[in-house]
Amino acid sequence: MEERTGRAPAYTRDSATSPTADQSFNFYHMDLYDSEDRLKIFPEEKIQMRGEVLKEPKRGERTPELSMAAHDQKEVEELASYYGVEDDKELEGEIEVGSVLRSGGSDYQSATSSLRPHIVPKRREPGREEKDWQYLGEAEDEEDDGFPTWGSRGHYQELREAYRYTRGRSSEEYECYVIPEEEDEEEAPDVFCVTCKIPIRAFDNLFGEHKDHEVTQLNTAAENAREEIHKNMFKLEEQIIQMENFASHLEEVFITVEENFGRQEQNFELHYNEILEILAQKYEEKMQALGEKKREKIEALYEQLVNCGENLDTCKELMETIEEICHEEKLEFIKDAVTMADRLGEFLKTKTDVELSAHPDFEDQTIDFSDIEQLMDSINAIPAPCAPVINTQTPNSATGTSVKVCWSLFSDDTVESYQLSYKPVSDGAPSEEQKAFSVNVKESHYSVTDLVPNTQYEFWVTASNSTGISPPSERAVYVTAPSPPIIKSKEILSCEHAALVRWESGNMNPVDSYTIELSKVDNEEPGNVVTESIVGIPTCESLIQLQPGESYLVYVRAINVGGPSERSEPATIHTTGTYFYLNKDTNHPLLSISEDGFTIVRSKGKNSASEPCDSDTRFTRCVAVMGSLIPIKGRHYWEVEVDEQMDYKVGVAFEDINRRGDLGADSSSWCMSHTYISSRHKYEFLHNGVTPEIQITVPPKKIGILLDYDSSRLSFFNVDIAQHLYTFGYPLQHFVQPCFSLEKPGLLKVCNGISMPKFVTLF
Amino acid sequence: MALKQISSNKCFEGFQKVYEHDSVELKCKMKFGIYLPPKAETGKCPVLYWLSGLTCTEQNFITKAGYHQAAAEHGLIVVAPDTSPRGCNIKGEDDSWDFGTGAGFYVNATEEPWKTNYRMYSYITDELPKLINANFPADPEKISIFGHSMGGHGALICTLKNPGKYKSVSAFSPICNPILCPWGKKAFSGYLGSDKSKWEAYDATHLVKSYPDSKLDILIDQGKDDQFLKDGQLLPDNFIAACAERKIPVVFRLQEGYDHNYYFIATFVNDHIRHHAKYLNA
Repeated sequence: MEERTGRAPAYTRDSATSPTADQSFNFYHMDLYDSEDRLKIFPEEKIQMRGEVLKEPKRGERTPELSMAAHDQKEVEELASYYGVEDDKELEGEIEVGSVLRSGGSDYQSATSSLRPHIVPKRREPGREEKDWQYLGEAEDEEDDGFPTWGSRGHYQELREAYRYTRGRSSEEYECYVIPEEEDEEEAPDVFCVTCKIPIRAFDNLFGEHKDHEVTQLNTAAENAREEIHKNMFKLEEQIIQMENFASHLEEVFITVEENFGRQEQNFELHYNEILEILAQKYEEKMQALGEKKREKIEALYEQLVNCGENLDTCKELMETIEEICHEEKLEFIKDAVTMADRLGEFLKTKTDVELSAHPDFEDQTIDFSDIEQLMDSINAIPAPCAPVINTQTPNSATGTSVKVCWSLFSDDTVESYQLSYKPVSDGAPSEEQKAFSVNVKESHYSVTDLVPNTQYEFWVTASNSTGISPPSERAVYVTAPSPPIIKSKEILSCEHAALVRWESGNMNPVDSYTIELSKVDNEEPGNVVTESIVGIPTCESLIQLQPGESYLVYVRAINVGGPSERSEPATIHTTGTYFYLNKDTNHPLLSISEDGFTIVRSKGKNSASEPCDSDTRFTRCVAVMGSLIPIKGRHYWEVEVDEQMDYKVGVAFEDINRRGDLGADSSSWCMSHTYISSRHKYEFLHNGVTPEIQITVPPKKIGILLDYDSSRLSFFNVDIAQHLYTFGYPLQHFVQPCFSLEKPGLLKVCNGISMPKFVTLF
Repeated sequence: MALKQISSNKCFEGFQKVYEHDSVELKCKMKFGIYLPPKAETGKCPVLYWLSGLTCTEQNFITKAGYHQAAAEHGLIVVAPDTSPRGCNIKGEDDSWDFGTGAGFYVNATEEPWKTNYRMYSYITDELPKLINANFPADPEKISIFGHSMGGHGALICTLKNPGKYKSVSAFSPICNPILCPWGKKAFSGYLGSDKSKWEAYDATHLVKSYPDSKLDILIDQGKDDQFLKDGQLLPDNFIAACAERKIPVVFRLQEGYDHNYYFIATFVNDHIRHHAKYLNA
């Protein structure tokens, strides 16, 4: 038994080493070629048959289909002689050989010769299978040569090649036919007798056997014949093409059948071996259990037997002793009898066990074949499908809450339904392991909805049919499209030619990139037509080029592998003037910025000294706030509304200005300073702590500030009277930011996004 | 009104020329310098009048101030007339540098013997513009005026006495309040007589007090080391105070280290040209 189980998987051995392949497992071919007997003698017979056919080609015999009913036999004969139709005959011979080989029956032959697609029917012969199965016992010993698949496959190959060869030759040759010149050396015919359809000499027409026959000139006749031949030639050509097509179709069918059966073979092989293994295993288990039980029982019985013998000995001994005592004298007898009676009484008290300690009868052992039966059933049914192949995600196929998952099958398994399972990809922490969801799907694709945006999900799929469920596919990771970003509309910076748009990702996980969509707001033609989009923005901000004096709606989308998110809420950008915002991270604690973001208020509060404040970004000494200007060179203009009696400084500073210094005190800032002391206005234009001496007769209420990178100037204007106040002329190599400070309680109002007044542009 | 070209020199693609003509107002031959920017060859240009200071002729400004490049860039015709009638054979006209020849003070004299010839105010505001408009590609609607010292005074009074006539005005170290300074007292008493109420008609500080509207943009540059400032000849503070009171826009720049001469003018002349161009080219 052990030996057998060890050899059970022997089918994996090389079948080439076995010369007796025909004797076992050859039922695999039966389905293909119907006759078991024929198959067994396959190789020899094939050779014989071919030999015969080639020796005596049947010239006259042709199936009507092949010779085309439209033409009479004769015509074809003639044509054949021109075309050298020997090939056809050879071909026919081949076909015949093939058909004979393939089956003695008529099915295949007719299929071949009638040029009709035909698939050899798949026949199952349960009886034979059983018969073969019976062989199994014997075959076991020769199992290594049990699968002659490869040998026979070799035959098919050979067959097909032979077939193709002849076909190829025929199609080459028909193109280069030669019309033979007929010659009559004695008396060359010069006219053609239409009645007899032969060339004759004109003389014969007048006097010979062709007298009164209709004649034409030989040339004309030849011409006519040639035309006719050409016509037929075309038809034949068509026919040939048709046949060739059919042949290739047949080849395909051939291959398909071969493949399908090969698969089935493998399937059977797998299942039967499984069953064999299980049977062997079961047998061993049973035998082992049986042996054990046997041993157990025998041991128990033996022990009982020994005990029994011992008891018997004791009894006998007692008997002898008693007998001895009986022969003794009275006095002695009495003495011993008392002792003996006690001993006997004691012995008899111990019960002699005459019950069998072990049941000798064989317990009925039912052998459970249910699982085997199940396996057997499964062989006859269609095989359970293979694991499906899950596709990787198609780019741009996802939305924020859904992905479209596609998969396919390797082979043409029969599948009734698929189960698609998925779960979010967790970051490793096992406690967060997510629950998997499953859906049953008929098609090989499914749109999974209600997902979380910008999240990776693992998908896997199993296919199932009545036989069983496939193993799961590989796991594929799909990702949902991101959530739409959120534009920070309050932080949009713009000027006449550009805008800096910033947004929040709107997604916890990083996304691949962002896309900005711009639409120009056209008052005449409302409707948001996207006029431009900027793609592949890696960060959450983008500087976009715009045209001056327009209004734009800006949308942002986040992009990942899955696709683009929905559009964000739009933000409006006006490219009129320069638009900046006040950076609330910079303002001195005493300054507050109003709700609208542009009114700077210093309330009458305590001094900043009481509020310890140490920050790298915040002004701590000068009660100032810094704006955030778009980093674009060119010209920027803004205005500040001031109170005539207020002390203020307005100007620009480098981003890294010392937050503990005063505006205009060093080389990193430029400002106009106003102080109001005892009803007198003092205006200073400070840089590096110095100012020119300037008197201004009309205190400005609105100061225009022109930052002109092109000509490296910073100019101040009294807007109301279009008066130029002062211009700093320094090369500005780096970007500067607007700065505003209030030296005393009061308020400043920044006016932003206004077009440059004419007096400024002319200046 | 025949013009006689005295000289012509190409300068920054334009031409600096000097002409001579017979003045009706002044009843003498008068010269003036005129710069024609390249733009004047193709179209009409605004005209900026420059009034020079004491002792100057038409030559000082055109040779020393270096304004040509800015004028060429902004497309401004710059006219620099002489500072007084010359060769009128008035007794005492050449006796002092701050009265008579070279010191017309841009007034119309009312006193003998000056009143026949010394009509510089009318010459500057009337005759000369007509002459220029008639003979050069000048835009008559666009004129501005500036000057230095006495010319600064002239520029201011011409503007203040003719609201709207000049688009803009500026001055270098102007005599802002002549009725209170020695130069002004001497000149005004000579040309206008002893009635000081008549003087006020030619005093910028006084005129500004009655200036009808505030649509004016006055730029004044003053050297801080100007001896005449220290001598109390210029008195800009009075003018500024008057302007501040009347809300007349003035930007007064006290330039550290500069004195009264043409080096100072040359330093800031571009600012002034730009100041005027802003209005003239608007």
